[in-house]
Amino acid sequence: MEKVSRYLLVFIAILTLAIILPRLYWMAFEKPVRKPFILYSCINDDFMIHRISEKTWEDTKGQQYTREEYEQKLPMMFLKQLLASGTMPDSVNGVKLDMRDIAREKSFFRLKANEIDAPAPALYPLFESQSGRSMLDLPDDFFRITWRIEFIDAATNMVLEEKSQLFSATLFQYGFSFPAKTISGLATPRKSVDEGYLIVDAKDQLFHLKMIKGKPYVKTINVPEGLKFKYISCVDFKNKDFYAYLFSDKNEIYILTQGDYQFIKWPVDGFEASNCDLKIYGDLFNYTVVIEAKDHIKAIALSSGYHVINTYSETWKLKEEQTEGKIFASLFPALVSMTSDDSKFIRFYFVPSKGWNWVLFNFVLVAFHFIWLYRRKAKLKNHLADLGIVAVSGIFGFIAVHVFPGSLN
Amino acid sequence: MMWKLVVYKEWLKIRWFLVGYTLLGILGVGYLLLTVKHDFAFSGGKNIWNSILFLGNQFFSPLKYVSLAGGLIIAIAQYFPETVNKRIKLSFHLPLGENKVLLMMHTFGAVSLLLSFVIIFGLFSGFCLIYFPVQMVIYSLITILPWVLAGFSAYFLGALIILEPHWMFRFYYSLVGGFFLTIFFVPAVTSAYSPANSGLFVLTAILSIALLFSAYRFRKGEM
Repeated sequence: MEKVSRYLLVFIAILTLAIILPRLYWMAFEKPVRKPFILYSCINDDFMIHRISEKTWEDTKGQQYTREEYEQKLPMMFLKQLLASGTMPDSVNGVKLDMRDIAREKSFFRLKANEIDAPAPALYPLFESQSGRSMLDLPDDFFRITWRIEFIDAATNMVLEEKSQLFSATLFQYGFSFPAKTISGLATPRKSVDEGYLIVDAKDQLFHLKMIKGKPYVKTINVPEGLKFKYISCVDFKNKDFYAYLFSDKNEIYILTQGDYQFIKWPVDGFEASNCDLKIYGDLFNYTVVIEAKDHIKAIALSSGYHVINTYSETWKLKEEQTEGKIFASLFPALVSMTSDDSKFIRFYFVPSKGWNWVLFNFVLVAFHFIWLYRRKAKLKNHLADLGIVAVSGIFGFIAVHVFPGSLN
Repeated sequence: MMWKLVVYKEWLKIRWFLVGYTLLGILGVGYLLLTVKHDFAFSGGKNIWNSILFLGNQFFSPLKYVSLAGGLIIAIAQYFPETVNKRIKLSFHLPLGENKVLLMMHTFGAVSLLLSFVIIFGLFSGFCLIYFPVQMVIYSLITILPWVLAGFSAYFLGALIILEPHWMFRFYYSLVGGFFLTIFFVPAVTSAYSPANSGLFVLTAILSIALLFSAYRFRKGEM
């Protein structure tokens, strides 16, 4: 029994050390990656790159610009600055610039991988979409979708039976299969108008639900055969061109047009929702789609009609491929982390080191432990398990078997 | 019959600590719920719900280290007296088997702690159900569960460290144990621990027999 308790403690120590030591190592030696800020210029039809740490502004051909020149190449982004300095052009590419048009078409969208793999809220507020008020009010009740849709009054914590029955019956009439798989919407009163929620039901059907004058508005959205969405992110852009960005299980990006509910697939390759961050800058002329991965950045310029105009990408070394990473992989066979950049969930993330360089160091530690036992005249056959633990888990096991030492007999 | 005597001996050691801790825990939960009641009255239920659901408000966060403190208090109350003049050796002379006596002591301490946690967090859950729907309470409990498991782990590790006869190893165990406990307290959004809780439960269960290792070294006069 004592032996079992010792090995269990050794296991706990190995796990703890596999979490703590790599974390301390990377706290000491990790070098930050300065990702460039990339936007497509409607002036010189090229990507403009701002390297923030180097304080340089350039295009993809290496042409260097001053900050002022750079801003003049991106009038849709630096509108206020150009207006202040009196360098805002009257027209671009033959299109006369109107401030209202520019403001209406300007949009920014950001999605991080850890927003997709994250706990969903327990309840959602359903706003009144046509209240007649200039500002939206947070409703008094919140809804959940289980075997039906239920509205719960926040003041009393009681189910509003009449409203729940009305909305449940309407959803049921439209063929909604309870419960919901995902509920996507902008659950905040800080938006220009309310467009309710896009809801995927138990049979992967997509519905649009909102509340108009206290009554349910439900629309069944025809999803092309075989198309499944892993994440839907609703937007509130001034031009009201589309309701949401939708990300399929094949990492395709779609938009859902407003009013006529048409899906338009964007010609964007290289996006992996599980480990990439996405930024989309929209303006009067273009969309710049920026995909940020661990070891590269890819920018895609789309026309306002969603056709690819230009692409640009840069790569850099992963931290595992840098000298610090190689030393890490020689010292540690793996690391365990409770957190991940790609998820908001806490898990035991096990990351084995690349390559087999750590085997050599493990062998040195086994030899060291062997000599230590030999000098103390320990019976070797009683310590084979310890030697095996050190051989497999390396520095973690070596420290663990010495922190919780067995009998030397 | 012998187990009744062991239980009585352990009860005599920890009773005031256990009762005092539980009462303080109840007072803490009472204060927390008064805060919620006050916020409901002044900010309105919908704003409180909204802040919890979408703005990251973890209203139960004052409970974060309550169970950790409980585990450490009970471990010290139960095992520190045993190290004074090596009194635990008297228990080892009982006609029960050394490990059996230890596991009895340990089970009693863990069950006492469990009862205390059930009272404190049961009260918390019950009051929460007045103000929040069951889903929000479940999400809160998923977030609280690792903190409760940390309480048990702290108790098991505390016993291990206190019974360890050698100061240097006490320091090593404290270091490893302290770092181990940090995995229960990683800052995260509400219910983020849901995939990890089963693993943390297994690790806590593993730690429950860790005491035997220190006791073994204590008995043998190791080092």
